[in-house]
Amino acid sequence: MKKLLVIILIVSAAATWAGCSDVRRDRGREYMPDMAYSRAYETYDGHEDLKVKNINYNATPVAGTIKRGAMFPFPIPMDKEGDSTNYVAARQVPNPFTTLTEGQAKEAERLYLINCAICHGTALDGNGPLYNGGNGPYPAAPKNLVADPVVSVMPEGQICYSVTYGKGQMGPYASNLRTDQRWMVVKYVKMKQLEKQGGKEPSAGAPTQSQQQAASSGGNQPGGGASGDNPKASGSRTPQPNQ
Amino acid sequence: MQAWSGKKKFFIVDIMLKSCLTFARGRGVFPSLTDILAIMIYQRPIVRKLFCSLFFLFIFSSLNKLSAQDGRALFQTNCASCHNLYKKLTGPALLGFKARGPWADQKQVRAWVHNPVAYMAKDPYTQGLKAEYGSMMQAFPNLGDKDIDAIADYIAKAPAAPGAGGAPGVTGMDPAAAAAQSNDNTLLFGILTLILAVIALILLQVNSNLRKLSDDKEGVPAAEPVPFYRNKAYIYVFTLLLFVVGGYYTIMGAIGLGRTKNYQPTQPIYYSHRVHAGKNQISCLYCHGNAQDGKHANIPSINQCMNCHIAINEYTGSAGKIYSEDGNEVNGTAEIKKIYEYAGWDPQLKKYTKPGKPVEWIKIHALPDHVYFNHSQHVTAGKVQCQTCHGPITEMDEVYQFAELSMGWCINCHRETKVQFASNKFYSIYEKFHNDLKKNPNEAITVEKIGGTECQKCHY
Repeated sequence: MKKLLVIILIVSAAATWAGCSDVRRDRGREYMPDMAYSRAYETYDGHEDLKVKNINYNATPVAGTIKRGAMFPFPIPMDKEGDSTNYVAARQVPNPFTTLTEGQAKEAERLYLINCAICHGTALDGNGPLYNGGNGPYPAAPKNLVADPVVSVMPEGQICYSVTYGKGQMGPYASNLRTDQRWMVVKYVKMKQLEKQGGKEPSAGAPTQSQQQAASSGGNQPGGGASGDNPKASGSRTPQPNQ
Repeated sequence: MQAWSGKKKFFIVDIMLKSCLTFARGRGVFPSLTDILAIMIYQRPIVRKLFCSLFFLFIFSSLNKLSAQDGRALFQTNCASCHNLYKKLTGPALLGFKARGPWADQKQVRAWVHNPVAYMAKDPYTQGLKAEYGSMMQAFPNLGDKDIDAIADYIAKAPAAPGAGGAPGVTGMDPAAAAAQSNDNTLLFGILTLILAVIALILLQVNSNLRKLSDDKEGVPAAEPVPFYRNKAYIYVFTLLLFVVGGYYTIMGAIGLGRTKNYQPTQPIYYSHRVHAGKNQISCLYCHGNAQDGKHANIPSINQCMNCHIAINEYTGSAGKIYSEDGNEVNGTAEIKKIYEYAGWDPQLKKYTKPGKPVEWIKIHALPDHVYFNHSQHVTAGKVQCQTCHGPITEMDEVYQFAELSMGWCINCHRETKVQFASNKFYSIYEKFHNDLKKNPNEAITVEKIGGTECQKCHY
């Protein structure tokens, strides 16, 4: 009888041990965590208690300031909903990078592949793994950057506006890429577009018909396309790369 | 033609067929090629009609297919950036658009697509659409009437629900089943060990009984039988075993205090790296871009999620069913809804209606404060892959801590990892090593050789 009890105990203990989940959901114990926890406020620490301690702390930089050595931000603010005045005005903003050095082109390509290629495709054909010819999870077709009649001749300023603030279904990439990185990627896209079009420089002064269409249909206001008369209008406001 | 109509036609056909069959029977063979030809000649008008209709059927069906195929391609290049068949995106969902507004008339559709601004000026329905969606449709003056009709045709023929056309769901690995299997194995081994132990015990008992019997027979005075649990030899061995095994586990447990290998907490949102970084091939740096620039590999802010999930509002099982580590199936669409909750996004209105609140993700990989670790030093300068420390992240649904993150683990990697000098400006100051390498390309410069195991590298 006693033996039977012992056997039953052992078997049930083994079953419990084997049936236990081996997923580790808790951190476990620690012994004397000497200098393990920072007394300073680390990244992602909550800093709500600073106010209680009467310590002034701004989580964001002072308005109107930029980091030393950083490029000036995109000069045109975002449009209000339903308006596209600034989107049209962005056509006049020149790219501070007139050309890319070999190293910059390589870096721009790397940034493009990380941030853009999942939708717009490694070949810029608008068929990245997220769209996958309509079979991917993304419901909207990303723009074909080299063959779309509007995008392939879009001025760099307007591309950069879309990258900075988002356009249509595309989200804003201002938090992914710094201003200089965005301009570099835009330049890279432009280079690829020109490559595809046989190295022809698009005439900056006279927008093509599709561009006018895009402007008028997007802007829906008579004054929208008129700013095309003076391409240098916003030149004084645009930044130069601090490099 | 009229001569062929009515009963007369059937009568004549009947006569013809009968005569042919009798002819065939008379010759004792089944209708041969010549017979069939004879029928075809006699029945020329009918056969011609038959051939004509077959021919046109074939042409029509292939044309139909062609235009539908065209419609799909045209839809994808021109419309799909803003319109989906089933979902409201930048513009309305297009399935069944013919039943709405003035679109039953195809001429109106063409006029609208060619010049929406002009069309809207005198059409209240499209003015309402502009007010609802907040943006104006792009004009397509170059899209021909046939193209527009082909697109409309494609939309009209699309299945009523997405996936009805058959996008086969990928069946992923069932972690629950896998877990159950591994549990089964442990149980099996446990039972086997138990049985073997019982057999060994019985054999020992039998052995001692047999010895007692033989001793009795030979007249050797038998000592009082000692049960195995009072046998001194057994007790010694057992104590020694307990000391060694217990000592091992005690020491390992003590070393493991404060270490969190395999830690796998339940996160506020079930985010599957397998689906995102594995199936959908999103680069690690898309979300954790700070890893190349700073000390921390940042946790992406919620707008990073919204970049894609503004449009992707449901999980359709493209990467198979998803399970939590406990084996419960996870509803991906419900998890995406949680993002909207945190972001303050209203998926119906397609607007941010509430202030966002931060997702309080639970930190898994934590180093004590007395160690300095910098991601950019490893990712950018060292060119170390994320997976070296974070394991098979593209296969993890719920992330667990892959590496030990102990000092021994760090030092070991610093001793073994060869420094990548090639096309890496960061190490250009180590010119001596550079030249050594040029002389002897087989020589390996490890991280340790350039000071990677100095105390002050990480502790200061």
